[in-house]
Amino acid sequence: MSDSAASIAPVALLSESDRAHHRIAWISTVDHKRIGILYLLTGLFFFVVGGVEALFIRLQLAVPNNTLLRPETYNQLFTMHGTTMIFLVAMPLLFGFANYILPLQIGARDMAFPRLNAFSFWMVPLGGILLHFSILAGGAPAVGWFAYAPLSETPYSSLLGVDYWAIALLVLGIGSVGTSINIIVTVLCLRAPGMTLRRLPLFTWINFVNSFLVILALPVLNAGLAMLLIDRRLNGHFFLPSGGGSPIMWQHIFWAFGHPEVYILALPAFAIVSEIIPVFSRKPIFGYEFVAGSTVAIAILSFGVWGHHMFTVGLGHAMDLFFAAASLLIAIPTGVKVLNWSATLVGGRIRLSTAMLFCLAFLVQFLCGGLSGITHAVVPLDWQTKNSYYLVAHFHFVAVGGIVFAILAGVFYWVPKISGRLLSERLGKWTFWLMVLGFNMTFIVQHFVGLAGMPRRVYTYPDLPGWGWMNMISTVGAFLMAVAALLLVANLVKTLWRGPVAGDNPWQAWTLEWAASSPPPHENYHELPPIHSRRPLWDDANPDRPDPVVGSDDVVAPVTERSKAGIIAFIASETGFFGVLILAFLYFNARPGTGPGPKDLNLLKTGLFSVCLFASSLTLWGSEAAQRRGRQRAMIGWLVATIALGGVFIVGQGLEYWGLLKSGVNVSTNLFATTFFTLTGFHGLHVCLGLIALAIVLGLGCAGDFKTGRPVALEVVGLYWHFVDAVWVFVLTVVYIFPLLR
Amino acid sequence: MTTPQFLLTAWSWNPLLLAAGAAALVAYGIAFRREARFGYFAAAWGVILLGLISPIHALADGYLFSAHMVQHILLLLIAPALALLSLPATCSLGRMLRPLTHPLAGWLAGVGAMWLWHAPSLCNAAAASRPLFALQGISLFALGGVFWWQVLAPRAEQRLLPLAAIVYLFTACVACSVLGIIITFSPVRVCSIFMHPVDRLGMMQTIRQSWGLTPERDQQIGGLLMWVPMCAIYAAAILTQFARWHATPAPIPALLPKTP
Repeated sequence: MSDSAASIAPVALLSESDRAHHRIAWISTVDHKRIGILYLLTGLFFFVVGGVEALFIRLQLAVPNNTLLRPETYNQLFTMHGTTMIFLVAMPLLFGFANYILPLQIGARDMAFPRLNAFSFWMVPLGGILLHFSILAGGAPAVGWFAYAPLSETPYSSLLGVDYWAIALLVLGIGSVGTSINIIVTVLCLRAPGMTLRRLPLFTWINFVNSFLVILALPVLNAGLAMLLIDRRLNGHFFLPSGGGSPIMWQHIFWAFGHPEVYILALPAFAIVSEIIPVFSRKPIFGYEFVAGSTVAIAILSFGVWGHHMFTVGLGHAMDLFFAAASLLIAIPTGVKVLNWSATLVGGRIRLSTAMLFCLAFLVQFLCGGLSGITHAVVPLDWQTKNSYYLVAHFHFVAVGGIVFAILAGVFYWVPKISGRLLSERLGKWTFWLMVLGFNMTFIVQHFVGLAGMPRRVYTYPDLPGWGWMNMISTVGAFLMAVAALLLVANLVKTLWRGPVAGDNPWQAWTLEWAASSPPPHENYHELPPIHSRRPLWDDANPDRPDPVVGSDDVVAPVTERSKAGIIAFIASETGFFGVLILAFLYFNARPGTGPGPKDLNLLKTGLFSVCLFASSLTLWGSEAAQRRGRQRAMIGWLVATIALGGVFIVGQGLEYWGLLKSGVNVSTNLFATTFFTLTGFHGLHVCLGLIALAIVLGLGCAGDFKTGRPVALEVVGLYWHFVDAVWVFVLTVVYIFPLLR
Repeated sequence: MTTPQFLLTAWSWNPLLLAAGAAALVAYGIAFRREARFGYFAAAWGVILLGLISPIHALADGYLFSAHMVQHILLLLIAPALALLSLPATCSLGRMLRPLTHPLAGWLAGVGAMWLWHAPSLCNAAAASRPLFALQGISLFALGGVFWWQVLAPRAEQRLLPLAAIVYLFTACVACSVLGIIITFSPVRVCSIFMHPVDRLGMMQTIRQSWGLTPERDQQIGGLLMWVPMCAIYAAAILTQFARWHATPAPIPALLPKTP
């Protein structure tokens, strides 16, 4: 490829001054490659932070009855360690790879929405700062990464730590949803000619499927966090038993997000491994369709298994049984993947580079973690081992042995593409062996110390037989891993300073990103090789024996306009958010309570302004129809009517709120009031946002923007407005009409 | 009555149903002759009879909400799918039924059937009245057929494209899961008639004591059945669509090979 790259290099799309600006503008960049690098560096930074927190935890636990840390400090440390590693390390690092590599792999110029991409990235530092600012505001959160209620409620955690934790996670969640919408639309709309969906490299395919998981799972957490903040800041009653709320509800919401989250982290790790193992086995992946299909199966099943985190809560035998069965089911598609990777190795000419070594370690360690995971799906066993170090060992096998090892493999595989320089293999092998040795020392013994009865989240332990030396081994192992991490950082610094030049395709890999120069130019590609299969560079290098053509060669036009695809993905995500709020309302109001209730609502008045809202959907439809027929004035007229009707609804809702507040009913009055104001309030907020968007569209329309270009802004905002109205159908039914039927 | 006794005796040999089954089999054989796929057709009737004649029906008849949910799954999801698979590829619909082949109609039929028949008043009424129960069974089967038509229509060109079918099935799965979740966690009884069954068979003792099924747990199992196994069926269908999409070459083959 280097020949053809050289021949086309002089053609540049950017002038020299543009390039100079490009070089300094890291802060304002909207280039997917720079944003990818920023993601990776942010993740690396927090990896060091979270790692240091882990080292303090291990130091405290190194010997029995240790007094190095105070108990409160210890609680803060493990909370911050868990939250940091999941939300500020694993997610940014995996998004970083997706951001950098995915557009290159499908031959795109950039992500679909570059500015949304920058916004999503900057949410990560903002979330990180908010989370850590809690230390200055009276103390970091000390409630564990899943912040079980009622411990996370004001009476038990009165300082601001939990508030900062919740706001930080909200911010990070919004950023994650933004990036995932971007990935979905990029894959749907920006593929190069010939790159059909069936020819996507597995890295891209798995990240694509994973993005659906993110846009559906994160809003569940966001809804839960909003409820928690309403409880804490406005004295709501969602999760406090004293006010009729349900702490178990928080657990359901958290794990309905939390279990898909496990796969949100694991699937991109699978994506990296699925890319690297074939390259270093010099064979195409064994059973592409099975790897791709099992990804879909995992994504669907992951939503139905959250109950296995709650076996010890006492959900009842029936629920335990179903969740245990569903949890065992998910082992099948995961097992299919492991078989595919192993079968790819069989008969291959295996090159044991550092990247490949990390993949092999991933295979072994992830398999162990998966097997101990199956033991957690068995209810009686889970009752015994839950909240012991056995559980800690299990999820670290998956999170470190699985996800972190895959990320490290990705670092050694793709940093040459990103930096143009090869990482030192000698230092890399030292990193690898120290990491594997340290990891297994740290976590294998934790299985045993857990089975011996040591609970998790204790700041110290008595000197029971065996506990002391096992914990000491664990601590020594953790420090070996720290040395390995330092070697990695040293390796990166050394490489960037003066590593050997990598060339375009140092691994003789077959996916498109290796056709670009290393690092790729700002505009990614001047010219792409023809794409007929899943390994275009193999076909290019071996014209006499190319891969079989996959599917038909027809260039398929994008399914839809990218803004439209984006808003549909956003609406899907919002559906998840409102779904949780509506279900919570139904659950908490299934039985009539005391104090203010649905009887204090006036269906007639609400019905009147609801009719206005529903009518606004019709007027907006009229506006769209007028636009299609090219009648500008009618379009603007209908648009003004839409905004007016929406305004009437908001004023009506405001009057209803005013009446309730005047009669002394506010969000803290009782459970009904909390749920009522939360559900209708969030809907009202969305109506207000819709009105602002409509006003902007009106401005564009008046300026004559739609006469020349395609009126995609009108269509997109229209879809969002129809969605907001549709949500009100459900809210109206659940809040105002259901209580009448009782 | 003990469990083995119950399993042996609680078969309701409904003559009307058996006659209808025999007549349908004969009619099917005459209509399609050499193209007939008797395997699928027999399986479809087997599933219907399993739901309406076996002890499942005896339990669903006023005793257990969860058994009633099993009936729903058999009649709405499994039997119509098998029945559609039994139709040879040359088969097509009359003009009257064309509006039912719109994807939105199919989706609303499949999801609406579940939501509608679990409105508390309808659920109770169907369990109490014979004619309404018969109507419920027939409507479930018919609506299930309309739902599956999008995925399993005899002619390949009448089916949704694989990726559209995946979206169709996934959203249906979500909609049914939501109802399942509501039933599972609802602190109030969805179908109050199952709270205090009329003990016609003398089974109450066995059900409550040796099976350990309290009304609360019974409803929980019912909700979970709608949530987990139903979604497993949808998930399996999604994977077959994925397989159909990836099957080469471009023209889309039938979902399953012909039965011998």
